[in-house]
Formats: sequence, C-alpha cells, structure tokens
Amino acid sequence: MMKRRNKWWLCVAPLYIFTLIFVLGPLIYMVALSFATNNDGIGVTWQFTLENFTKMADPVYVRCFVQSFQMAFMTTIFVVLIGYPFGYFMAKLSARGKKLLMFLIMIPFWTSSLIRMYGWIIILQVKGLFNKILLAVGIIDEPLKILYSYPAVVIGMVYALLPFMILAVYSSVEKMDWSLVEAARDLGASAPKAFLTVTLKLTLPGLLSGVILTFVPSMGLFFIADILGGNKIVLVGSLIQDQLTRGSNWPFAAALAVVLMILTTLMIYLYRSITHTKDLEGMF
Amino acid sequence: MKRRIMSSLCAAALVFSMAACGSSNAPAADGADTNQAASENTAANDTAASDDAAKEGGELILYTWEGMFPQEVLDGFTEKTGIEIVYSNFDTDETMLEKLSQAEGGTYDLVIADDYIIEQAVQAGLVQEIDKDTVTNFGNINPLYQGQFYDPEDKYTVPYGAGIPLIVYDPEQVGFEITGYEDLWNPELEDKVALTANYRVINGITLLSMGQSMNTEDVAVIEEAGKKLLDLAPNVRMIQDDNTQNALLNGEAAVAFLYTSQVTQVMAENPDLKVVYPKEGLGFGIMAGFIPSQAPNAKAANEFLNYLLEPEVSAQCFDFLGYYCTTKAADDLVNPDLVVPDSVTKGEIIQNVSQEADEAFNKNWTEFKDACD
Repeated sequence: MMKRRNKWWLCVAPLYIFTLIFVLGPLIYMVALSFATNNDGIGVTWQFTLENFTKMADPVYVRCFVQSFQMAFMTTIFVVLIGYPFGYFMAKLSARGKKLLMFLIMIPFWTSSLIRMYGWIIILQVKGLFNKILLAVGIIDEPLKILYSYPAVVIGMVYALLPFMILAVYSSVEKMDWSLVEAARDLGASAPKAFLTVTLKLTLPGLLSGVILTFVPSMGLFFIADILGGNKIVLVGSLIQDQLTRGSNWPFAAALAVVLMILTTLMIYLYRSITHTKDLEGMF
Repeated sequence: MKRRIMSSLCAAALVFSMAACGSSNAPAADGADTNQAASENTAANDTAASDDAAKEGGELILYTWEGMFPQEVLDGFTEKTGIEIVYSNFDTDETMLEKLSQAEGGTYDLVIADDYIIEQAVQAGLVQEIDKDTVTNFGNINPLYQGQFYDPEDKYTVPYGAGIPLIVYDPEQVGFEITGYEDLWNPELEDKVALTANYRVINGITLLSMGQSMNTEDVAVIEEAGKKLLDLAPNVRMIQDDNTQNALLNGEAAVAFLYTSQVTQVMAENPDLKVVYPKEGLGFGIMAGFIPSQAPNAKAANEFLNYLLEPEVSAQCFDFLGYYCTTKAADDLVNPDLVVPDSVTKGEIIQNVSQEADEAFNKNWTEFKDACD
C-alpha cells in the first residue's frame, strides 16, 4: 500500500501502531527483562546479567524443556493421525454435511476452554463416565486412575488443539484441484500412490500449518497440565507461570520464555525446510 | 493464604501489563498515563473527604477486600453508634500498601489485610497504636494469634480471621491414623495424596516434619528438605490450588492437604472425613485490622474494632467468612469447624525469606513436581 503512495495507509496505521505497541513492545520488554537482575522480593534491577540463562543448564530445567518437547510431539502426532483424515473426508462431504460438521467443530469454541477441561475431569475421574462405561461393559474390574496422569494431559491437549488441524487440512483439501488426482490415476498410479504423490503434496501446506498451530501452543498450554495432569507434569509453560507468580522471579521467567521462543522458531524453520514448503495455509 | 496467591497472580498480571506499556509507549503517551492515574487518585480523595463532612454521626472508611463482612454486622454498627461505614475495597495487599503510602497514612480509618503486608506498613510508619481504653474487648482475642512477627507486642493490630492449611483424610481409604505431616510420607498412601500448590507451604511442612522452621534461610537445610520432598513424590496424586477439595470428595485422593476455606467446604459436604491438626505444628496466615497513622476518624475505627470483638458479632463474621475464629470469646458461638482445638499451641507464619533461600525453595518445588510423574 505504501508503494501506491496514496493516503490509504492512514486507515491501517492504527492497526500497525497497535501491533507495534502490544505485540512488539512486550516482546522487546521480555527480551530486556531476561537480562535483568531479580530483586529480593518483588521487582527487578536493570543490571545486565547472564545468570538467568546459565541457570537453565540445571538438569531440572533441561528436563523440563525435554518433557515439553516430548509432550508437544506426542500431541502433534495424535492430532495429525486424527485431524488429517477428518479434515480430508470432511472436505469430500456434501455442502450440507460440511456445514453441519463445521458447526459441530465450532460449537465447543463458544465455551471457555477452561470449562471444557473441567468437563474432561468429570468424564475421566475414578467415579466418572468413562470408568462407569468400562466397568459396565466388563473390560475392567477396577476403575482406572486416568486423571492426573500423562495420558490425561495428552487427551486434553489433543482435544483442545484438534480443531486447528482439522480446519487447516480441510481448507487445503477443499481447494485442491481433483483433476490432478484423476490425471495421476489415468496415468496408472494406484490410489495410495496417487494420494502420496499428489494429494499429500498438495495439502502439505495445510498439514504443516496445522502442525505448527498444534506444536507451538502445546508447549505453553500450562492450564491443561495443571487441571488434567494435577500439576505433576512440569511443562515450560507452567514453569514460566510459576516463576512469574509464586516464584516472583520475572527475569528468569523472561529468559525461559526467550529460550522457548527461539526453540519453537527453530522447530518451525526445520519443519519448513524438511518439507520444502514455503507458504503455509492460512499463515504468512 | 489462598487469597494471597490469587492476588499475587492478579498483581503480576497487572504490573506486567503496566510495565509493558511503560517500556514501549511513546513518551507522550507515558505522560498521559501518569496524569490519568493522578486525577483518579484525587477523585478518590475528594469523594472520601466530601462524604466525610456530609454525615453527622461521623463516618468510618473501611478499606479491605470485597466481601469481608456480612451486611448485618455493618448495619448493626451504624444502628448502634450512628457512624456510617464506607466500604472501600482493594484486590491485593500490595495495592493497599501502595495507596496507603500515597495517602501518607490518611484517607482510610481502618484497614484489614494480610500479616506480611502489615509488617511492612508498620515499618513504614503508616500505622497507629490501638486505643485499648476504647477497645475494651481486646482480651477476647485468642492468644494463639497474638504476638506474631508483624506485631510482637500486640500494639497495632486486631486479628480478623486466620487461614490454616490442614490435612483431611477419608478414614475408610486409609488404614492408619494420620496425626502429622510425617504420615504423608507413609508408603501406604501411594498415589493417594492431594496437595495445595503453594511452594512455600509444601516446603514448609517438609521442614516442620524435620523439626525445622518453615522460614529457615539455611540453604543446606532447604536442600535437605528438597531431598525429603522427592520421597513424597510417589504418594502425590495431584497438586492444585483450586478445587483441591473435589479430589477428596470424588474419590481421586484419600488424603488432602487443604486451605481453610477448602477444609470448611469439604467437611460440610462429607462429615465422615477426618481433619488433622498436624502434631508438628501449624503453618498459618492471619488477617488483621489496623488503624492508619493519619486516619481521619481513628475513634470510630477503635469503636468498630471493639464492636467486632464482641462474641456474637465475631461469631457472625467468621460463620460468614469461613476462616478460623480469632476471637476466643466467640469459640462457643461460631461453627465448631472454625475453632482450632486447645491442644494446638504451636504455629508459624510464612514470612519473606532471603532471595537465596527463596530460590532454593523454588528449585525444590520444580524438582518435586518433576519427580511426581
């Protein structure tokens, strides 16, 4: 817009200013904070130190990062396994079916995700629905203690992030040119081969943005680890929250956030270079 | 205690957002911010001052959290003395101290806040002594809550409710009698214990079980407590601040270490559960009332404190609040769940510790949580 040299930019200027102040500003503040010295009690001293970063070499914090990445990978894998086929077949439905499914996916968003997590507690708890059904069917004799465990957190994460994958894949499959698949079949490719060489390649941008939309937040969704994991699984997100509130060590929290940001940026870069995808569906 | 965690959360969020603005805004915007804040303050002072002059029976400006008093108690005081009560509230102790120091100990007649912040207010010279000739009911206070670190000589404060985290357990699911913190380490409780998520409290009970002070600053001792905490990990079912009591009620946990309001709630729902006042001693937090140094109507404040210490009034207040009754004379009238038994004599309040010690506590906590799964 700037290139055309008209005054339209005045209309969007507030948006840019807003973004600068509320997105870039806090980021700069966070980076600056990560090099500051923590005060006794509350507050910081603006004295340069690298201590916040060197402290992270402690095995307990390293393990925390490792565990977060494991959790994020696990979540992403399940989300891809469920979300890709879901989005794929959803795009092949009739217009009516698409609308209905889209509606069903959107409905949960009308409720706070926090409340939905509490819903999972009711389902998963010892005297909950899930155990009652399993007991009634006779699969188990003793109720399972699923709540406050690793699987419970994965279930919560997958549940919370699945819609992002479905929608990303859906929009990518939906606008795909199916005549290319037909051409592949005409030229003798089997159905699986046509899928792998044509459909998958063409929907890769959607899949990839779904992966990023899943992977990145799953490292920060500390409230799921808190509510469904009973706080026993320490993700980087919960560690940052802990340092900001109870520990009241903001510089360390900022340093953790900076490292997390660098690592996730690296991951995104890796995904893109491995899959040779330049533009992501719905992103950039 | 719980309130304090909630409030520190809010404070953190607030300060963060303010600080973020401050560092990134243009200088002009910064100036505007300050002006606005200043004008807000004057506005608050103005209303307080003009209201003060308007009422004939005088006025008491009460400054505390929202919902600390049943309306009948406030109305009762006005009926009795003709003094109108203006209820002004804050979200966090820190906000209160900030405003009070801006007002240089004036504006407010009576403040009710948490123990540790009162210590700071006293040190800053923002508090005046209680007039014990007016507060004739001073002797009604339970001595368990007196002589604490924030007011060792009981000159400045009248306690108004205490929070004590306690162990509650389901005797049907636990094969032995729990009497203290040490029992939480019993291997029989594997995967059965729910804990609150305050790192200082959990570190604190570990220290108490070792016969140490909750507020020790000796890093070697804290590290030893950290090792002991790791042994507790296999027993931990969940660590949570909110709704921890539900884990006990819905059978997820057999033993829980809970905050006062949660203990009250859980006992109301299932009276078969057992409350344990750990033999190693209690860790608690006290809320107390004090009169700011330049209070416009200190006389009314003293009268109000005296009124609050009347057994019937106290009982009404604590039944409403759900915190432990700090007025000994009201023990017979209040909900029995809110009375600490006489056998309990030891108590310690969690205080701020040196940064070094605090970091050691934090590290213990992270390692402990990490070991729990």
